[in-house]
Amino acid sequence: MNAFTIALDSIWSHRLRSALTALGIVIGVFAVVTLISLGSGVRSYVSGQFKVFGATLITVSPATPGQGKPGHPRFGPGSQNVPSSLTLGDAQAISRLHSNTIARVAPVAVIPAPMGTAPGATSGLSVIGTSAAYFPAEQLKFTGGRFNGSGVVLGSKAAVALFGHQRHLEGRTVYLGKTALTVSGVLKASTGITSSANNMAFVPVTMGLHVVGLQNISEILVQASSDQSVNQAVSAVTGVMNHRHPIRNFSVTKDTAFLTTINKTLSTITTFLSGLAAISLLVGGIGIMNIMLVTVTERFREIGIRKALGARDGDILVQFLAESVLLSLLGGAIGVGLSAIASHVIGKVAGFPAGLTVGSVGLAIGFSLGVGIVFGVLPALRASRLMPAEALRTE
Amino acid sequence: MLNKVEHADVIDAKGLIRQHGQGNAAIKAINGVDLTIKAGEMVALMGPSGSGKSTLMQILGLLDRPSQGEYFLAGKNVSRLKKGEAASLRGRRIGFVFQGIHLLARLSAIRNVELPMVYARFSSTERRQRAEASLARVGLSALAGRRPNQLSGGQAQRIAIARAVAPGPELLLADEPTGALDRASGRDVLALFQELNQELGLTIVIVTHDPLVGQHAQRIVELEDGRIIADRPVLDRIVAHGTPEVGV
Repeated sequence: MNAFTIALDSIWSHRLRSALTALGIVIGVFAVVTLISLGSGVRSYVSGQFKVFGATLITVSPATPGQGKPGHPRFGPGSQNVPSSLTLGDAQAISRLHSNTIARVAPVAVIPAPMGTAPGATSGLSVIGTSAAYFPAEQLKFTGGRFNGSGVVLGSKAAVALFGHQRHLEGRTVYLGKTALTVSGVLKASTGITSSANNMAFVPVTMGLHVVGLQNISEILVQASSDQSVNQAVSAVTGVMNHRHPIRNFSVTKDTAFLTTINKTLSTITTFLSGLAAISLLVGGIGIMNIMLVTVTERFREIGIRKALGARDGDILVQFLAESVLLSLLGGAIGVGLSAIASHVIGKVAGFPAGLTVGSVGLAIGFSLGVGIVFGVLPALRASRLMPAEALRTE
Repeated sequence: MLNKVEHADVIDAKGLIRQHGQGNAAIKAINGVDLTIKAGEMVALMGPSGSGKSTLMQILGLLDRPSQGEYFLAGKNVSRLKKGEAASLRGRRIGFVFQGIHLLARLSAIRNVELPMVYARFSSTERRQRAEASLARVGLSALAGRRPNQLSGGQAQRIAIARAVAPGPELLLADEPTGALDRASGRDVLALFQELNQELGLTIVIVTHDPLVGQHAQRIVELEDGRIIADRPVLDRIVAHGTPEVGV
């Protein structure tokens, strides 16, 4: 018959009220834990994606001279704002280094021309001009055919958009603007951060640039030969580029640096949103305090009896504190349970692994415990300081 | 009482004053009470409502502190006890029986009886043994598992008495113990008090405004306006069960 048994009994005897009181904590803990789980899920997913590439990719992109890093050209906008000064010559110069730290070099040019099954027809596909090295560097696989330096390679969705299916399209004709081209290969559907390739069509870079009459490419993709050689590859590439572009209108970015940026951003967002969610915990805590104060008033007589029977102030304090802590912990437990379900479902739907982490559950327990104690102390103190004579007078 | 000299004073109060409020608005609920009650006495504290008898009982029971005066409980000065010490003494040496049902509704009869011993930090085995013995003494062992709402008023009050005596106190304080009971149940309760008083030598103070209840005691102390106006032995004492006893 310790304080927690008494508390549990009291909570159970006012089931509806206890449930409503705990609801604030349920919501608060649910929100905080779910956001943290999703945040860490997204983060581990992104890191996982980068691991696929072995973090060996380096991107050379245009930049305004003297300015910091632009956005990441492969993953986000940013380079669009900077008129590109990169040329095929730059890509060739990097290739000619024959450095053993560099495995592949691929120019990447956005070709602003429509692609369709009839001359001039549009299908909304992005057209990229590149070379054969692009595909292994980006871990893109073919279902059929290959990039042969004269034909078009279609992403899986691009193939469906143009022909309604993805099989045996090699030899079919597509038009880039008014230029007829032959399909030479189709890519396997890709997931994750390279999934944008599904909606793309790839043409040989020289031909693509020729069709639209452009000189400059959008970026140069360089793959280092190993994780360890990334930094050496970066300095080699930077050396060549500095020589060719003395005004430094380019930037060389490691994917790992980008990963760090993404992680930082995700952390900030997660922390910010969790902070917002924590406000509901605060509100929940105030709810608990409110109900506990009511409970104390309702139970003056019980407190009086207990004190007359020899209960010390401390006994009463512990009893009421136990009740608020238990209420809060129960709310926290339900919140964590709901959060486990929600993270699982959201993770399934969104396609990344989001589960409860030990940290987020620990945080939730800590939070509910803290809320229970902080907001339970005032009512419990009031109960414990009641003079027994005064408490017994209340009928 | 034959061997009076051997009995120490359980209650020895001198010049007790209990004042509520300050200055002109001050009300003295108790205004200079001297009272001595010897071990083994059964005393009725009587008076009209507002006479201060309940306040006096609360002071004697360490539920309240006197504003002035000295109070010795079994020879120990308890006038200025700290709250924790008072609680500890209440739990071990004083038993309370109140008007109405003062059992905790959520606990079974035996759990209610065990409660003061929980606070007095008795071991769980001793608690259970004493609780069972105490229930047997009031003749309600069969009802140990019942909740208070499954008990009649008289049964509930006897459970409350079992609870009050279970820790083995020296003093039993009862505030209108028959106030909420029918006549028959009231008689049973008073008989139980007399039995406990005789068999255990328990000192009992009953606060009441009912002269008939007073007649069950050995001595009646009457209060009015916070002062003792009469203190007399009961000559025609009613003994509820067993052989009549002649008053002192």
